[in-house]
Amino acid sequence: MKILGIDTATEILNLAIINDGKLVVDYKVQKEGKTHSAIILPTLNCILNLTGIELKNLGGIAVSIGPGSFTGLRIGLATAKGLAFSLSLPIVGINSLDCYALTRRVLPGILCPMIKARGEEYYFAFYGNNKNSGNLDILRTYQCQKWMKIKEELLKFKETVYVFGPGVDDIIKNEKNSHSCGVDNIYFISEEKNYANALTIALMGEKKVLENQSDDISNLIPFYINKSAAERP
Amino acid sequence: MKETIILGIETSCDETSVALVKNGKQILSNIIASQMDIHQQYGGIVPEIASRKHMEFILITCQEALQKAEVTLKDIDGVAVCYGPGLKGSLLVGLSFGKAVAFALDKPLIGINHIEGHIYANFLNNQKIQTPFISLIISGGHTSLILVKEIGQYQLIGKTRDDAAGEILDKVAKHLGLGYPGGPIIEELAKTGKGDAIHFPRPLLNSNDFDFSFSGLKTAVLYFLGEKKERDELININDLCASLQQAIIDTIKHKTLSCAIKYNISNIVLGGGVAANASLRRALREAARKVGISIYYPPKELCTDNAAMIACAGYYKFKRGITDSFDLEVFTE
Repeated sequence: MKILGIDTATEILNLAIINDGKLVVDYKVQKEGKTHSAIILPTLNCILNLTGIELKNLGGIAVSIGPGSFTGLRIGLATAKGLAFSLSLPIVGINSLDCYALTRRVLPGILCPMIKARGEEYYFAFYGNNKNSGNLDILRTYQCQKWMKIKEELLKFKETVYVFGPGVDDIIKNEKNSHSCGVDNIYFISEEKNYANALTIALMGEKKVLENQSDDISNLIPFYINKSAAERP
Repeated sequence: MKETIILGIETSCDETSVALVKNGKQILSNIIASQMDIHQQYGGIVPEIASRKHMEFILITCQEALQKAEVTLKDIDGVAVCYGPGLKGSLLVGLSFGKAVAFALDKPLIGINHIEGHIYANFLNNQKIQTPFISLIISGGHTSLILVKEIGQYQLIGKTRDDAAGEILDKVAKHLGLGYPGGPIIEELAKTGKGDAIHFPRPLLNSNDFDFSFSGLKTAVLYFLGEKKERDELININDLCASLQQAIIDTIKHKTLSCAIKYNISNIVLGGGVAANASLRRALREAARKVGISIYYPPKELCTDNAAMIACAGYYKFKRGITDSFDLEVFTE
């Protein structure tokens, strides 16, 4: 089965197609001054031509639903909905924090993917490997807080903590300025601003489609975590 | 003759709308999911909430439009989407969805300017209008005079230099705590008021161009209210609404008719939410009749934002072979 993965949660547009769990294409584009809206379909057209895959041969669409850039997420999800609706395909929304955690699951310790939110806040969650089930367990659910608060909690762990994801570059910069880098049990992993991950999204989506756990296309919305500023007290 | 069915999508502000229109004139369905009651609590549109609601509504609105029209996706000849001007986040939901539908169905994508859409609301329901005509688009976001020499040929003659006419009504209504949107509320209150009770300015009435300016009028109204409050004097809200409305009508009437006369045009076509105002329609009709000019306007429900007008405009572009590529971007103004 062929699955299209769409990731528009970061500045990089990333589309991938997998076939029965194997990579066919993984394509990343960043075009200065252009929104994802302008490049997503030309990019899709390009990878379809490149691989000879036709839209009608797809078995499902997996799309990042955040947390992340609201505008980016809405472009990805509205595009995914338009495609899935027109082609009668199952759609799966993938949580970006889960996706980042899964890519780092081999690390021996607590996993803390982070995504930059508004102001000084970050979206995050804590994960740990469950040695009995072999699954990744969520230890602290998806939230949005300032780094100092998150750090306080991370320091309480006895295990090593790995902090990564698109929010980490900012934190590394701040930690260096405060001369507290490399202390305690926290390790930072930077990917040099290259955080889009449509391939993992496609793989996670395939699993859900095979388990008949695709999402309801009408009700699928981005995972914002916070209400809009106007709605907050 | 082969039928042409266009799917229209409009998400430029706070209405999620999807429509199916046959041959540019017959509305098969025109579904509008309004967010008005949500934004009412904030006294105006909150862009982030509007974008979120569009995302929630877009697919079900599309499904409902297809069901009501008894049309399937494969019957569609093209997808017309409003790509601006409007709120960026709102426009992006409709445009991204519409582009993906067109791409998946391998049908042409037709980008429609929102103001252009308002003009075409007049062509729905078989109304026949001869070009050339002057179009007055008047709403909460726009106040524009456009010369349409031929279908698809537009020349902007005048526009507001600051606030739109409908924006003034919204802002005054908000200031008075009357609610949102201001236009229909002020129109209702004005019915039992005297339009000449308070003299408010008619900005740019004697300027040599066809631009509008309404922010001075707003300031005059707010200043008037402030003074009354300071002196602890009661105001007659009906007279205030009627006088404000009259000031706007007089300005619009004068500018629009002198524009038509200067360009020697005998047809005026209205569009936009404020064009639903019965007093404005009446005043324009009566003044136009005296100088031998005809006034056209859409039914009230097609004056406000809707996707049928977008589909109609899309039909005329489709017929002329004008389509857009999938890298089409939204624009805000």
